[in-house]
Amino acid sequence: MLGISSFATVAVRAAEAAPKTAEVASAQQAAPETEKAEEEHHGLPQNAPVLGGKYLQVTSSMVWTWIIALGIIIFARYATRQIKEVPEGAQNFWEWLVESLRDFLESIIGRELVKKTFWFFATLFIFILFANWAGLIPGVGTIGWGIPDAQGGLHHISKPLFRGVNADLNMTLGMSLLFFVLWIIWAFQANGFGGMIMHIFGPKGEMKSFWGKAGMVVIFAIVGVLELISIAFRPVSLSFRLYGNIFAGENILESMSNIVPGLSWLIPVPFYFMELLVGIAQALVFMLLTAVFTMLICQHEEDHH
Amino acid sequence: MTFLLPLAAEGGIIENLQKSAQETAEVFGVNAWALFSQIISFSIVAFLLHKLAYKPILNVLEERRKKIAEGLANAEKIKVQLAESEARVQEILTKANVDAQRLIDEARASAQVVADRRTQQAIAEAEQIIAKAREATGIEREKIMAELKREVGRLVIDTTSRVTGKVLTQADQKRINEEASREVAA
Repeated sequence: MLGISSFATVAVRAAEAAPKTAEVASAQQAAPETEKAEEEHHGLPQNAPVLGGKYLQVTSSMVWTWIIALGIIIFARYATRQIKEVPEGAQNFWEWLVESLRDFLESIIGRELVKKTFWFFATLFIFILFANWAGLIPGVGTIGWGIPDAQGGLHHISKPLFRGVNADLNMTLGMSLLFFVLWIIWAFQANGFGGMIMHIFGPKGEMKSFWGKAGMVVIFAIVGVLELISIAFRPVSLSFRLYGNIFAGENILESMSNIVPGLSWLIPVPFYFMELLVGIAQALVFMLLTAVFTMLICQHEEDHH
Repeated sequence: MTFLLPLAAEGGIIENLQKSAQETAEVFGVNAWALFSQIISFSIVAFLLHKLAYKPILNVLEERRKKIAEGLANAEKIKVQLAESEARVQEILTKANVDAQRLIDEARASAQVVADRRTQQAIAEAEQIIAKAREATGIEREKIMAELKREVGRLVIDTTSRVTGKVLTQADQKRINEEASREVAA
């Protein structure tokens, strides 16, 4: 049944009005979903439902991704449609955002690296930020398909049409892996193959004696292996941190809405503000960590001093 | 290393990691195609945002930065030019002052020369006038003296002829006349 469930308090009885296709879809999924319904009654599903596509799958979070990206692009085009020397209105806001972000990144990773990488880090921050905030809009996660109860009421959406973008591990892992690939490219561009080996395994510091030098080589070889493991796990930590925070936030909002049925409009309000903060903090953390990882590998030894 | 023993016992760390990863992926709905789709989707979004959202504003910021840099460079250039102009103006003013002073000095000198010349000329003219006046006075005096002599001579002759009662001869008249003239001249 296609319907709207606003945190399970505003259930729409639309069994008769639901489109036939949705009914068919529901019927096909009825058997497994009835079993799942019990365990999924509270809380969002951990994975984003696939809406279509056999190979290149379209998920509910992907639909929301495109809508958010489209929104950002339309706003940016509107802001830059008539560029003025003295900015005002939308242009002023967009300039402020982009310029502040660029200056902030410049102060951390340097001007040269920013020129090369700004497009990616800016996308990470702006997109993650707006995606996190857009996930709080009523309707995201609560409009979609679900299993009605015996009275025909819809209390839970098991297949939302829209889902918080970063509440999909495929999305956060996708971003992390893309960063990982770009990180490798930028690292090789900055250091070369030999430079990369030296960067990871090379001994740091000076030792005068032969045995001292030999000991340093062995120690830093072991440290290099640990460094490689650490690098390999970066996409995992990045993706799970973002996914965990956003998914947990959405669950908190749903739980708070259900805790007192008559006050579902009031109790989640403080948590909405908390989620606004979490949204910006997580966007900043993701961008900063990726930027710092890039800076650490692209910075040469003499730059440290 | 004891914590690794359970993992090793069931077939090694790698296998256990794989199993753990598979289970996690199943729980969170991660699969290769969905992941690939999201990577493609995010790459397209990043590319479009870069082209359509950041680039125009970055171009504006770059242009503004260039303009500010140019403005600062121009301001510096103008400052240098202003200093040069001021120095030139000062130089011109100094030169003009020197020239003016020189002109004034020259004018003063030439005025002095002219004044001296005029004075000399005036003195000469005055002397000339005085000389002419003296000459005219002399001539007039001589003329008056001659007339006076003549009149005195006539009066002496007339008086003498009346006193003596005789008619004086031409020679007497001449002699008396000459004596009277001598007396008058003395």
